[in-house]
Amino acid sequence: MKMEKMKKKRVIVIGGGAAGMQTALRLARRGIEPVIVEKEAELGGKLRGWYVLFPTFTPASEVLNELRRRVHECGIETVLSAQVTGIAPRSVELADGRRIDGDAVVVATGFSLFDASVKEEYGYGIYDNVYTSVDIERMLGEGRVAKADGSRPKRIAFLHCVGSRDEKVCQQHCSRVCCITGVKQAMEMKRLFPDADVFNFYMDIRMFGPGYEEMYREAQQQYNVHFVRGRISEASPMLDGRIQIKAEDTLTGRPLRMSVDMLVLLVGMRANDDNAALAAGAGLRQSPSGFLAARDHFLGSVRSEVEGIYYAGTVTAPKNIGETLNEAAAAADAVAEALGA
Amino acid sequence: MSFFAPFCIPFLVGAAAMFAVLAWKWGSWLWCLPRTDKRLILRGLPTRATLEAVGEVVGESLLHRRIFRINPLLGYMHMSLAFGWFLLIAVGWIETMACLGLHWVPIQGHVFFRYFSTGLPHVAAFDFLMDLLLLFVLSGVALAWGKRFFSRRMGMRRTTKHVPGDRVALTALWFIFPARLAAESITCALYGGGGFLTGSIGAWLGAHVPEFGLMNAESVAWWFYSSCLGLFFVAMPFSRYMHIFTEIPLIFLRRYGLRSGEKATSYDEFQVEACSRCGICIDPCQLQSVLRVDDVQSVYFLRDRRYGMLRREVADNCLMCGRCAEKCPVGIDLNTLRLNARDGLRNVPDERRYDYFKGLDRSSGEGKVGYFAGCMTLLTPRTLSAMETIFAAAGEQVWWADREGGVCCGRPLKLAGETDSARRMMRYNTELFRKHGITTLVTSCPICLKVFREDYALDGIEVLHHSEYMLRLLRSGRLALRRGATRFTYHDPCELGRGSGIYDAPRAVIEAVGELLEPEHTRENALCCGSSVANTAITDGQQVRIARSVAGELEATGAEVVVTACPLCKKALGRGTAAAVRDLAEVVAAELK
Repeated sequence: MKMEKMKKKRVIVIGGGAAGMQTALRLARRGIEPVIVEKEAELGGKLRGWYVLFPTFTPASEVLNELRRRVHECGIETVLSAQVTGIAPRSVELADGRRIDGDAVVVATGFSLFDASVKEEYGYGIYDNVYTSVDIERMLGEGRVAKADGSRPKRIAFLHCVGSRDEKVCQQHCSRVCCITGVKQAMEMKRLFPDADVFNFYMDIRMFGPGYEEMYREAQQQYNVHFVRGRISEASPMLDGRIQIKAEDTLTGRPLRMSVDMLVLLVGMRANDDNAALAAGAGLRQSPSGFLAARDHFLGSVRSEVEGIYYAGTVTAPKNIGETLNEAAAAADAVAEALGA
Repeated sequence: MSFFAPFCIPFLVGAAAMFAVLAWKWGSWLWCLPRTDKRLILRGLPTRATLEAVGEVVGESLLHRRIFRINPLLGYMHMSLAFGWFLLIAVGWIETMACLGLHWVPIQGHVFFRYFSTGLPHVAAFDFLMDLLLLFVLSGVALAWGKRFFSRRMGMRRTTKHVPGDRVALTALWFIFPARLAAESITCALYGGGGFLTGSIGAWLGAHVPEFGLMNAESVAWWFYSSCLGLFFVAMPFSRYMHIFTEIPLIFLRRYGLRSGEKATSYDEFQVEACSRCGICIDPCQLQSVLRVDDVQSVYFLRDRRYGMLRREVADNCLMCGRCAEKCPVGIDLNTLRLNARDGLRNVPDERRYDYFKGLDRSSGEGKVGYFAGCMTLLTPRTLSAMETIFAAAGEQVWWADREGGVCCGRPLKLAGETDSARRMMRYNTELFRKHGITTLVTSCPICLKVFREDYALDGIEVLHHSEYMLRLLRSGRLALRRGATRFTYHDPCELGRGSGIYDAPRAVIEAVGELLEPEHTRENALCCGSSVANTAITDGQQVRIARSVAGELEATGAEVVVTACPLCKKALGRGTAAAVRDLAEVVAAELK
């Protein structure tokens, strides 16, 4: 009995992104021994691909490096390049046949990005000068945003809701963060190319977070970014390499055609493909969008249907980074309480 | 010799009512036919078509050869009832003539001959033959009973849910022949005679039942037999059994070249009432097999249309994939009937909606070969750019009808029932094609292809699907392809395969670049991708469920790449699988030498 109490509880955290790292840190602080299982060769998850974060333009590397530093400092055990294929309340199975045992499991596997080439009508991967919001983050990070031929864009169009709120591609849910990403990237484009015309084509603008609405206003008033309500129906290439887009301005009720130098598709957050297999194996529930379903929306938002399996971050629904970090702490607390640590 | 007994009355009344209703129905339908259809009939009457129709009536209305192809037991059941009953009547007629000579005998004299002929000498051969035929029909009735419980044995997973009127007629029909057996056997018990069936049963009854009881029973049995016949005849023209007689004129009219069109005519009535509600159309329907939607199939659509209770929800909920029409034993043109019913339900042309057509011409390039991408190819631009590559490789001068946007071919609107608006689009495009003087029109969309071939007046312009065009380029040596080891499977688009009869061209093109593996359902039996523009009732989620089931079958072939030749099928299948789905043009463009 005494020996058992002395022995540290061990919790497996699946996923080494923002949610996974934060969960592990919090668990460690509560005297639990976390082990992070990450499928990539390094920690960081999607955060590694972002340049600066809305709404404060904080460099993503600041958050990422700080989280990594703390994980390293706490000496948290990490298993890298390890794909989880099965989850049980006290263990996880890896693709290479290994099994990791623990006292509880936190699923922090996050989301996948919508593959823009599925919306073939927008020409991603077919024409030059069609980009995704992820490409833009990378280009901003590399410090060279330009057209495919290296020249400066004079007109840029952002298209919202690519792979979100779109029944045609089986993605009914709202990915939430793309609206503000569109506003942020439009402002960054205006900073880089002050003479360029920047348009945002949207269905609704959903500014849900603190400071977002102010940022949206600033984009219009200070940066002169144009917002057009209406989705682009199709894009086609022009001889000079520009992209011709067809859309409808639904506020004026007029169809419009426009040629742009860059078309940026704001891709949505999609449930991971392996959620179904993991859920089926562990008896977890999936919501219709494919994300894993928490026990309830209120007091059980970090608990699964199965005792001993917890959730943190975007594995349950699209969230921004702040929400993800908070939820990770809540998940760690719930685990610690359940384990009596 | 008198040929009347009071029990004949139900039969006589029923038969008279049936023939009166039949005459009225057929007469009014024929009378209301469009003038051009009437002319077709008059022209066709003295030709070979009439003889061929007679042959088809024997083959289908009596022998039911098409049902034999679906399932032999099911075919036998239908044949024994139809052909057996026909022979009973025909041989019965000969029997009366053989016994009485060439006398006029009223109809009930033929039908109830065994009752009236007790005083006549028996002809053993006829006794045997008539019993054999009765047994033949009874075996069919037994199978029909069995089908209620063991439909799978007869090749049908699901059978039709019948309306009450059908059940009355069905019950009457089921009892007609057992009742005949009972009545004839009892008469044989009292007066002797009869063959191996009625004679034997009669002898047994005579030995075991007192004569007084038999005499009462005889009267009851003949009354019952006559009543069953009468009830069946009265119910027949209003029930599914109307098909027994309606299939016959339908076969003749079809042989004379009559067809249903986008507007309803009285010819449709022949088709609608020729449906026997056998339910063979239910099993092939993917709305039923995948989505468990079980009240919209052709059998129910025709039933609702016939009784004037057709609702938009039923008319619109059909993929028009043609899988049921392929199996229909009566050969009813199910898609066209569905289409012109939709026309009746929602054709409300908006006169000003298409005013923008005036003076519109966004076409580009010049050449004798025109390319029409269609809306769906514009939404799947990989196909479009592949076609650009192929045209360039073949050195073809191309006139691009709609690369910068154009007017729809009209088929989606037509399928939705808005036929008048569709016609405006067709007129616009026809004029556009004529204006640019093309001699060949290539399209990568089977939906456009079908409407170009069937509804456009494009004399002098050859319309080709891109699969046919590419095959022609390959055969004439204008295109050369690298053949690799890639394993492909091919999904037949409904509008291309069953719709336009093009099965071999795309397959030949695929075999020029790699190995072709066929899925379980292929060619005429191919499955629909589920995203058909013809269905405006099911949701995206339901479309995806169908796409998944189809993609599953395609993946099961072990192919690395799923190929199709329709932009809509490509989009639809892409939603149902993570595997690579390509248009035929993409596959060709990638392997150009």
